Amino acid sequence: MSSIRLRLLKWLIPPILLMNLGAGALAYVLAPPPLREAVLRTLVLLEIVLALACVALIWFSVSSGLRPLNRLRAELNQREGDDLAAIAADDVPYELEPVVSAFNGLLAKVGEGAQARQDFLANVAHQLRTPLAGLKTQLEWLGARHAEPDSAQSVRLMLSATERMIRQTNQLLSLARAEPHHFEKARLEPLALDALVAEAVQGFVDQATLKSIDIGFDLQAATITGDRFLLRDLIDNLIDNAIRYTPPRGAVTVTVRPGLLTVEDNGPGIPPARREQVFNRYVRLDDKSHGSGLGLAIVRDIAVVHGAGLVISAPESGRGALFTVKFR
Amino acid sequence: MAYIPKTGRTNMHVLVVEDDAVLADGLSRALGSHGMQVEVVGNGAQADLLLQRVTTVEVVVLDIGLPGIDGFEVVRRLRARGASVPVLLLTARDAIEDRVRGLEQGADDYLVKPFATAELVARIKALARRHTPRPAALSLGDLLLDTSTRRARVGDQAIELSVREWAVLEYLLQHAARVVSKQQIIDAILPWGDDLSLNAVEVYISRLRLKLADAGVTIRTIRGFGYLLELAA
Repeated sequence: MSSIRLRLLKWLIPPILLMNLGAGALAYVLAPPPLREAVLRTLVLLEIVLALACVALIWFSVSSGLRPLNRLRAELNQREGDDLAAIAADDVPYELEPVVSAFNGLLAKVGEGAQARQDFLANVAHQLRTPLAGLKTQLEWLGARHAEPDSAQSVRLMLSATERMIRQTNQLLSLARAEPHHFEKARLEPLALDALVAEAVQGFVDQATLKSIDIGFDLQAATITGDRFLLRDLIDNLIDNAIRYTPPRGAVTVTVRPGLLTVEDNGPGIPPARREQVFNRYVRLDDKSHGSGLGLAIVRDIAVVHGAGLVISAPESGRGALFTVKFR
Repeated sequence: MAYIPKTGRTNMHVLVVEDDAVLADGLSRALGSHGMQVEVVGNGAQADLLLQRVTTVEVVVLDIGLPGIDGFEVVRRLRARGASVPVLLLTARDAIEDRVRGLEQGADDYLVKPFATAELVARIKALARRHTPRPAALSLGDLLLDTSTRRARVGDQAIELSVREWAVLEYLLQHAARVVSKQQIIDAILPWGDDLSLNAVEVYISRLRLKLADAGVTIRTIRGFGYLLELAA
């Protein structure tokens, strides 16, 4: 609404200027001849003051009239790609109101589309779980009894492909769960962070054993407020990531302190220049590894919705990577 | 390939209720190869009927998403009849409402699909154990614990165990191939809440390691957490 100033400017300034010119001319003509020079001087002075006042008024009005527009631009520039919230209409210049409301309509449609796509993805992932469970169970049975080396190798490969499909499916579901518009404040509850890690130990020990990685824990009691399932996803993905990128016979250590979760490995580490990048989807430092490229993106999304800080650094030993999640 | 120790009793009677033919068949094979006697039905109504007729079922593995009467309803009816047979729910969804609802209806545990066979077998055994405590003997490798006479043997050789060592080893054997925390061990061997330091557990474990040197089993240390009893490599 603030551009009412611009309209005032348009309708006020020209008449004032015209009236002022007319009045000046009239005063000059009506003045007795001996006084005309003095009148002229006074009028010129008056005009200068008036001109300066007009310039100041125009300057002030135009720049403050455009301020909401600049604010709008800055707000849109700052948005994340997936932030489809409607633009607040109460602070929008009068002329822009129809545009903004049309744009909000478009945002809503895009948002509905994104939501439908996400739901579809989650639905497909759920539908895949039962056939994948069947496949895995059958292959594990076959692998346990087939001794002939060629077939055994083939079964192992099929099982590893199945594991990758399962992982990818679960990652898609975690990603859908961590979406900000799926995040439900109602699910937040006080949780024992150390117990959440302890629940997951069996799976990590099994995974680490396959790579001869020494996995260790240092868990102190710590209570935080969060969503149980999302935090399990965060813990699972951080530790999975460490085991995945640490070479055989390496070491991974998980530490819990009040308000703090750290996962340290002695693998190749992450160069400082790439530490921001690894949290983006489908970014991998090493093309040879069989990651989904989603694990750390899930970790970041979950840290963000929990208002937790997430930092990568190098451990004190100087070798490897240290992931720190700091809860508020 | 995850290895699964064959401890405890065999011939356990398990009912699998699953409508997906491939998974049902896989479960039947997998559990069968662990010495369980498996019966498979494909829908809730059949499961409900069978559970009314057959009382020898020791553990029910029950899918939630069944055609007709779903898994929740099967458990509800089962518990309404006063049957206490342990029920493990299988679910393809991880919505918290499902888990809570399942446990509220009287299920004892749940597992999200897809799962590892080893995990399923371990959960089924744990449920059966809770229901019928203390099998007559526990064994792994050459180690055998006769729980009725409280004698421990490695092959033909009897070994002497103190009361606490026995308790620790029995707990480890009940959870063979599973990671157990030091605190879990303390809670298991001291059910009345006596005070025992984590260091004391370490002492019992190192004594057990000496006594089990020739048993074909090892007690692995999980750094900063606990232990894992498994067959020696």
